[in-house]
Amino acid sequence: MNSFSGHIADIRTSDALSVVTVNINASVSFKAIVIDSPETASYLTKDHPVNVLFKETEVVIGTGEALAVSLQNKLKGTISALEKGPLLTRVAIHTSAGEIVSVISTASADELDLKESTNVTAMIKLNEIILAP
Amino acid sequence: MIELNVHKTLQSAQGSMELHVELTVEKGQFITLYGESGAGKTSTLRMLSGLMPPDKGSITVNGTVWFDRERKTNLNPRHRNIGYVFQDYALFPNMTVSQNLEFALDRKQDKTVVEDLIATMELQQLRHRKPGTLSGGQKQRVALARALVRQPGVLLLDEPLSALDSAMRQKLQQYILEAHKKYGLTTILISHDIGEIIKLSDKVYEMQNGKIVRQGAPPDMFGLGKTSAKFRFTGEVIRIQKEDVVYVVTIRIGNDAVKVIADQSEVSHLQPGDKVAVASKAFNPVIQKI
Repeated sequence: MNSFSGHIADIRTSDALSVVTVNINASVSFKAIVIDSPETASYLTKDHPVNVLFKETEVVIGTGEALAVSLQNKLKGTISALEKGPLLTRVAIHTSAGEIVSVISTASADELDLKESTNVTAMIKLNEIILAP
Repeated sequence: MIELNVHKTLQSAQGSMELHVELTVEKGQFITLYGESGAGKTSTLRMLSGLMPPDKGSITVNGTVWFDRERKTNLNPRHRNIGYVFQDYALFPNMTVSQNLEFALDRKQDKTVVEDLIATMELQQLRHRKPGTLSGGQKQRVALARALVRQPGVLLLDEPLSALDSAMRQKLQQYILEAHKKYGLTTILISHDIGEIIKLSDKVYEMQNGKIVRQGAPPDMFGLGKTSAKFRFTGEVIRIQKEDVVYVVTIRIGNDAVKVIADQSEVSHLQPGDKVAVASKAFNPVIQKI
């Protein structure tokens, strides 16, 4: 499980759903969608400390510039370690927020020609991010 | 409302322990005492029920003083309006289910209460059987019914379900909850089962070494309320197996075994037998009508 701590920067609520922006540092923030609102979850207030959690298997990896994708959470980084198995590959990515681990298929890792020190973008869908106050 | 403030020096194999418990339980609340063996949970219930005298302090229930060292008040256990269920059923083996319940009646009491309890606990089919012919879960249902015959205001449950298998335990939990609500009881449970505590209790008190060290709502106490994830369960790790570059963790949740993919960072501090919280976003599961 990837885990980062930050503070809530913004909350946009529509009925029971909220999109929450969490700042990790000056340059990195994560967005999460939750089935909660400030009325149902007391931690949903600006500046409240919160941990951002997401599964390694939910981290998408892209290479190259100008990616046109629907994923809202994008972090640039460099591959710091690569562990290849027959089907799956575990990729550790060094980013300005810290290390992110991604588990992708070995076929994709080969296709993208991922190696140590390759520059990549790690991406996580809005709905895969869990907030832990 | 139960207001309890008791001190007692207890002797155990590890030496003597100073028990000091201060507890206020609102009428109609369901609370759990949680903590390791020897922390003083059972002794607390025994003092509340009058089976063990405190060294000092007082116990007041709904305005009536049950115990007060200063005023030399010590109400007899029979007059304390308490139902007590232990892990051991303690039914009379030579009496039928109905007779066991009727034996608990007060002289002035109407028999209709027994009929009502037989219906609530669904004991109709078993009423003419003797305890020796009943399963563990059935015996505990009878024990629970018997504890309620005198229509107590307070129900004490000392690990009543710990000898039962998990399917039976879940059924009994339902009976306990129903009785708690129907008879407007104030209930104090001793349990080690986190799932059970979350399901049954409004509040949990953790005891350690004769003192209450922590208290709160069960989901908060056990760290489950602390994520936005809506798919949340507690379970027990059965097996951890490395597959490819990830780990497959098999977890028993209720009667099911589920498999969860985990990274090495998650399994490094896990081992079979560990209690775990399993959580996922509400966005992931698919639903199909069956």
